[in-house]
Amino acid sequence: MHCKVKLLLSVVFVFWASFGFAHEMTPAYPKFVTSYIDDVSVTKMKLFNRRDDVSYYKIEVWDNNWEPVPFASTNKIIKIGHNKSVSFDVYVQTKDLKYVVYICTISKNFKEDQKVTVIASRICSKID
Amino acid sequence: MLKKLAVISSLILTTPALAVNSPINGQVQAKCSIWTETQGVYGNPLPNKLDTLPASGGTHASIRVDIAQANFYKTSFTHPISFSSSPTLSDTVVWSGSTVVGQVSVTEMSAYEAAKVISPSNVTTFDMTLAGSTWFTVSSTALYGYNKSLPAGSYVAQIVAECIAK
Repeated sequence: MHCKVKLLLSVVFVFWASFGFAHEMTPAYPKFVTSYIDDVSVTKMKLFNRRDDVSYYKIEVWDNNWEPVPFASTNKIIKIGHNKSVSFDVYVQTKDLKYVVYICTISKNFKEDQKVTVIASRICSKID
Repeated sequence: MLKKLAVISSLILTTPALAVNSPINGQVQAKCSIWTETQGVYGNPLPNKLDTLPASGGTHASIRVDIAQANFYKTSFTHPISFSSSPTLSDTVVWSGSTVVGQVSVTEMSAYEAAKVISPSNVTTFDMTLAGSTWFTVSSTALYGYNKSLPAGSYVAQIVAECIAK
């Protein structure tokens, strides 16, 4: 009986994990490597959007005190469809690397789409 | 002679089979997912009050956080202290709110509630020390001025749910 409950819970968990409105980002602990540009380092991140109410995410880079660190990416605001994933590179000047602690993505909502209290989701990876 | 030739040619023919690749595939999965299960709705129980309390006609926001690996993340919830869109307001709004642990997939996760840290007053942080799913309920109340009615219109406030690697 106990095993059956466990199995049922696993199935329910898998079902829930498959349908919903989630924001995910990998890796949890990215590493910067030397880029093809002198004195600039780069790391690759992957964003997965399972929120059907969100199509845009903003990239942020923070230091230990949650102060912004200058960075470059192809787009600082990423457009991404529902159930799609996007890989993006984050470039930071090598001299600023010692300050970089968090790389985050935060969901952006359109004002005109909002009819209820809106939940913005932010996921932050920590530099290893 | 014919036998020798047959052995040599069979050896030559079998050699390429040794070079067949056997790849190992893997996928890096997210260790923390934020699931926005229920968007909150403000009820308007009094002319000067907006409240997500069900008894006031509202709905609390429900956010699920899935942790695949224990002790890798902490989560923070920021309840609103301003409207992101509203009619023009001429008086101050007094905000209050809270974040509490709701359902849990592992019984021991109930301890998150006692261990939560509230700092500053509208940010509640939980240390996700266990793998599994935790549901968080976020409530919000806005009181307008003194004995004043809120202007008619649509009011929207934003909750921020965060997953931060430790």
